[in-house]
Amino acid sequence: MGVYLFKRLMLAVPTLLGASVIIFLLIHIAPGDPVRVMLGPMDDPALRAKLVRQLGLDLPLHEQYLRWLGKALQGDLGISVTIQRGSPVLELLTQRYAITLELAFLSIIVALLIAVPAGITSALRQNRLSDHVSRIVAMVGVSVPNFFLGIMLILIIGVFLHQAWATGGFVPLKTSVRENLIRMLLPAVALGTAYSALLMRMLRSSMLDVMSQDYVRTARAMGIGWPSIIRQDVVKNALIPVTTVFGNSIGYLLGGSIVTETIFRLPGVGRLIIIGVDRRDYPVIQGIVLTIVLIRIVVNLSVDILYSVIDPRIRYGAEGE
Amino acid sequence: MSTPDVAVHPSDVITPTVKKHRGLLEEVWHNFRKNRLSLTGGVIVVMAIIIAVFAPLLAPYNPVEQFSAPLGQHHPLPPLSRSEEGTLFLLGSDKFGRDILSRAFYGCRTLLQLATGSITIAFALGVLMGGVAGYRKGSWVDELIMRIVDIMLSFPSLVLAIALVGAFGIGRTQIGPFSLSNMFKIAIVIAITYSPAFARVMRGVVLQETAEDYVDAAKMSGGSGWQILAGEIFVNTIPPLIVQASLNMATTVLTSASLSFLGLGLQPPRPSLGIMLNEARDYLFGGAWWYALVPGTFILLIILGFNLLGDGLRDSLDPRQARRTRL
Repeated sequence: MGVYLFKRLMLAVPTLLGASVIIFLLIHIAPGDPVRVMLGPMDDPALRAKLVRQLGLDLPLHEQYLRWLGKALQGDLGISVTIQRGSPVLELLTQRYAITLELAFLSIIVALLIAVPAGITSALRQNRLSDHVSRIVAMVGVSVPNFFLGIMLILIIGVFLHQAWATGGFVPLKTSVRENLIRMLLPAVALGTAYSALLMRMLRSSMLDVMSQDYVRTARAMGIGWPSIIRQDVVKNALIPVTTVFGNSIGYLLGGSIVTETIFRLPGVGRLIIIGVDRRDYPVIQGIVLTIVLIRIVVNLSVDILYSVIDPRIRYGAEGE
Repeated sequence: MSTPDVAVHPSDVITPTVKKHRGLLEEVWHNFRKNRLSLTGGVIVVMAIIIAVFAPLLAPYNPVEQFSAPLGQHHPLPPLSRSEEGTLFLLGSDKFGRDILSRAFYGCRTLLQLATGSITIAFALGVLMGGVAGYRKGSWVDELIMRIVDIMLSFPSLVLAIALVGAFGIGRTQIGPFSLSNMFKIAIVIAITYSPAFARVMRGVVLQETAEDYVDAAKMSGGSGWQILAGEIFVNTIPPLIVQASLNMATTVLTSASLSFLGLGLQPPRPSLGIMLNEARDYLFGGAWWYALVPGTFILLIILGFNLLGDGLRDSLDPRQARRTRL
């Protein structure tokens, strides 16, 4: 186990470092002088000198990077230039991540609530009508852009059915848990639907795979009834490969939340990165992208480790290399 | 092949041999045709391409021409209503009195242009990276390229695309002596985010192919690395790459439309399905359902078409895998 853990970590660290180089360079691949771009019409010598010093733009490139990375490792992601002048980026991010992560979490729940029953039913009724219908629905579900789905939900439930809660906006958890969850429902559905279709497809093919295994046939031959085989063996084993998609799902959900938050007017990280791009607030953009990549790599790593605990073959395979 | 010694009735032998001699394309078409869903996908894609190519002929009006609303009414007008000038808005008008159907046709054109451009660049980049990495397996070049691929894949594609647009800025961009049009710049940004996926597939296929006898034969007859890679191996990597391209077309269309929707992609007045959907948000509460429904349905159908087509192609090219993955 130790060896496997070490190997996985050794792969994750250089990836994260490489990503940090790209994120650091974002400010430098910008055509023209980044300071002028950021300050725009507010460009005056004193402010300019301060910003150059703050970002360390007067140092050689590699020193700039090391300084930036060193600060980032200590949790200092720099200071917002245009969005909230002078506020630390980390402070801006923490309040907003609470919203984005809540949205991602609720989307996963929505996705599981749809995908698990649909996937199991579809696999058990392979090639029957309900299987065909759910497969077609899943294909449409994978293909529907979350912004289109979100707008249609607002239009149908909010406008035609006159439900005020369905029109977007955010209520903090502290103010009212109930109101918060009600307002989060449609965004979670908009974001979770495509994901649920993906999960359902995975679960279905994984179930069919398990059901054709020898041990299932043996269990059948021993006279054990289908329902208890399904419950005890098939579903459990079929869910193992499905856990691997969880690792990638967080990246998908964080990316998707950018669009969903825009539609439903949720003040999360996704909304912030759009404002950041619009106002050229490079430290904010860099901070968001860095944290998203960090979250994604950490989640991926945890899923891999969890997977190797559930399924020891993975671990031995890697150690035997 | 030698005939078996035992006397066999001719029909037993001939029928299977005739079946086996179907060419690759015929085989693929035969498998593909049986799958009704993928056929539907193919039809949708072909129709979208026809609309995109012939948009100037098919669109009833100029997509940027503004018509006046009849007295006492205001834009956006619902489907089947007429403007002051008497022109018919088949699928309604937008906030400026432009015909939504015409704009959707032209939007389909720009979306497919952008997605095809991005996929082509991503394909070229990915094939080059993956081909070299696979052929030089285990060398430092392989290690370096695959590290870069891993790093790129650690970014969610939409996040990377947005960050790059953020760095380059919105609109026409001057890079050194080159002035990039906004569309070309976005195509490159999207291509960068999708090339690693192609590189991975390409490397895998090249690894598989280099183990084959024909590569050894080419080596022994004195072919250079590049000759073998470009002349012999590449041909055999095309089928899996096409599947990858078709499936990636779906996600590329989604990324392109998302960027436009967020205001970071194509810029008005260029007709774009993503921008139309974004504009429609301001008119939802006025009940202008057609404003959002028309462009959204176009995007949905294009993505669905490429997904179905990609799935079908994968199954037809690799029937063994099909049983496991077919949906």
